[in-house]
Amino acid sequence: MKYPVLFIVALLVLATLFAGCTQQAATQQQTTSASQGTIKIGVIVSLTGPASNVGNNMWQSAQVAADKINADGGVTLKDGSKAQIKLIVGDDESTQQGGQKAATKLITDDKVDILVGGYSSAVTSAYEQTIAEYKVPYIVTGASSPIITHRTDIDTSYVFHHCPTTDTYGQYTTSFIDQVIRSAIAKKSGFSADRPLRLALMYQDTAFGKGVQTAVNNTITKEKLNIQLVSQQSFKMGESDFRTQLTAIKAANPDAVYIAAFPNEGAPIITQARRDIGLNTIFLNVENNDNAQFYKDLGQYGEGAIIESRFSPYTAPAGAVADAQNAFKQAYFTKFGTYPDMMGASTYEGVFIAAKAIGNAGTTDKATVRQALVNLKMPQVIEAMKDQTISFSPDFRESTFDLWMEQLSFNQTLGETRPAIVWPDNLKTTAFALPSWYTAGST
Amino acid sequence: MMDNLGIFLQIMFWGLYAGCIYILLATGLNLIFGVMKIVNFAHGEFLMIGAYITATIFFLTGINPYVIILLSMLALIGIGAIVERLCFRPILGTGKLNEIFLSIGLIYIFQNGAAMIWGDAWQSVRSPYDGITVPVGSLSVPLDYIIIVAFTAAILFALYFFLKKTTTGMEMRATSQNRKGAMLVGINVERIDIISFGLGCALAAAAGTLWVVSGQVFNPYMGSIPAVKAFAIIILGGLGSIPGAIIGGLLMGIAENSAAYLLGGIWKDAVSFIILIVVLVVRPTGLFGEKGE
Repeated sequence: MKYPVLFIVALLVLATLFAGCTQQAATQQQTTSASQGTIKIGVIVSLTGPASNVGNNMWQSAQVAADKINADGGVTLKDGSKAQIKLIVGDDESTQQGGQKAATKLITDDKVDILVGGYSSAVTSAYEQTIAEYKVPYIVTGASSPIITHRTDIDTSYVFHHCPTTDTYGQYTTSFIDQVIRSAIAKKSGFSADRPLRLALMYQDTAFGKGVQTAVNNTITKEKLNIQLVSQQSFKMGESDFRTQLTAIKAANPDAVYIAAFPNEGAPIITQARRDIGLNTIFLNVENNDNAQFYKDLGQYGEGAIIESRFSPYTAPAGAVADAQNAFKQAYFTKFGTYPDMMGASTYEGVFIAAKAIGNAGTTDKATVRQALVNLKMPQVIEAMKDQTISFSPDFRESTFDLWMEQLSFNQTLGETRPAIVWPDNLKTTAFALPSWYTAGST
Repeated sequence: MMDNLGIFLQIMFWGLYAGCIYILLATGLNLIFGVMKIVNFAHGEFLMIGAYITATIFFLTGINPYVIILLSMLALIGIGAIVERLCFRPILGTGKLNEIFLSIGLIYIFQNGAAMIWGDAWQSVRSPYDGITVPVGSLSVPLDYIIIVAFTAAILFALYFFLKKTTTGMEMRATSQNRKGAMLVGINVERIDIISFGLGCALAAAAGTLWVVSGQVFNPYMGSIPAVKAFAIIILGGLGSIPGAIIGGLLMGIAENSAAYLLGGIWKDAVSFIILIVVLVVRPTGLFGEKGE
């Protein structure tokens, strides 16, 4: 009886020793991977689950970026040698547990040199502890809650934020509502200039949605805007039936509704609001909704809606980035037969940033690459950046984008809406207009 | 006051709509449990497959999705019969753990299979009656929801008729009440099992179709949460009780939507389980359950 027990213990010891040897061998391989001509970039995205549409777009965009970098010769290292990029994908399954598994696997099994990606803030923040523990540079290109780099409960010094935060676009959208929508409504409805604009919020009950809610509330308070929040309704991530919350919003008589949702939630919210509830108002959407599937799902109900944006599958601002954006869209379309979305665009850039940082560092040593990211100053790639330069702020390691607002109009031939930039003045291609069916809230 | 009444009626109506989906799903689950006494956590996946079959036929042919509901139900009777024969029959009576793990395995197989066939991006369907509203009292209700309620009532009436008036229906009820007794009087219980399982799956397909035509988005993972709620409903209504599933589904739909309005959207799912716990504490057999079930 005691021999089988001893045998099992011996097997366990051997297995542990073997695992240790494998671990050591993998670590040695990690330090030499770049000099062997390959840079391993882990891409954490939602390939499955509620966020899979955006996640697949991010993953495919990363592939287009890697193809371009490799076709151009790869990354030049300190010793003058060239290294090719190898992408390894990790599916966070749109869940916190899935994100934890993906991050751990990419870091400990695949031994990636750097990480790119992250979409849901709730999911991304759940595995930041792992990033902190292994000190792997991570360029977050989708999760937009400021907590990603602002949190103090763990070390986030290896995390770099390459997408606008909810603070930034929440503030930007609220300013647009105050400066553009308010006057248009007053003009159309004959309201006095001092009438508060009645705004309703519909937000996902996650760090992302609450981040937008906080940003809107703070902007109204700090900037003393004449906007009254008449209803603030929340919903669970992945929800598909929003009719009750929309009934509550309609009862509050809003002039406009600001939605903080993923595209698979945003399109049904607007459709259900207009078709089922009869809420004929202006719907403002967060930038992650600038996605081909969103336009398809909205159909005619998207008419008049607004999206805060920095990259669209169907429009581009005049100026320096237009050609670069179109080239990226064309390369993506050639490879996958569809168009990239905004999260795809920042992930595409994330791969370029990772390659540039490793090139500048001349090594894949993680601390050196982190420092290269801190010191990074590279020309904008496809999205319009502040001063046309990608760099990370010294305090919270956030890059700064030039944003714009789009308004959707229905294209009868396509059966879908298409966007046009309406704000700010230096980028707009047309003026914001209230649709003929628009109904303002009560006086 | 009138405004408040209008909102109340509107919320009740959305509750009724949600309840219709739950009723069909839970009734099917209860039908299977009543006859076979098996726990099938993969029941929500039949709703998902029903939704995809309807959507696929609609995209390919443009046939009215309310007509496709019958095709979808027929297809699920076949799929359900195969699943019963190949998966559940061999493990019948071997213990609840086997059933639970088998059904969990089926969840992954169906979800991944659907993702392989249809992709895992969310999709949506536009009903041919999209945008048409009908005045119902003080409310203006989209026609689709009236049809959904009418379809649910018609399906439940047909089920009632089938169970009460047909020989096979009576054999199903007999098997549900006493399996050994049914065998002793010559009922082929294996045939009844396969019919019950197929019918249960067909009801899930009907729920999936109504989900799709109401404009809700769907993807291969859509079935998990409704399945959990369907289990809560059949426990709430009483295991094996069809009236219990109907009342439980309706109660759940209305409670969820009332909670979303009064307490906020995050309470929508939680309130179902709060009600379930309260009912079980007060009446452990559920609203319509009998001792020993």
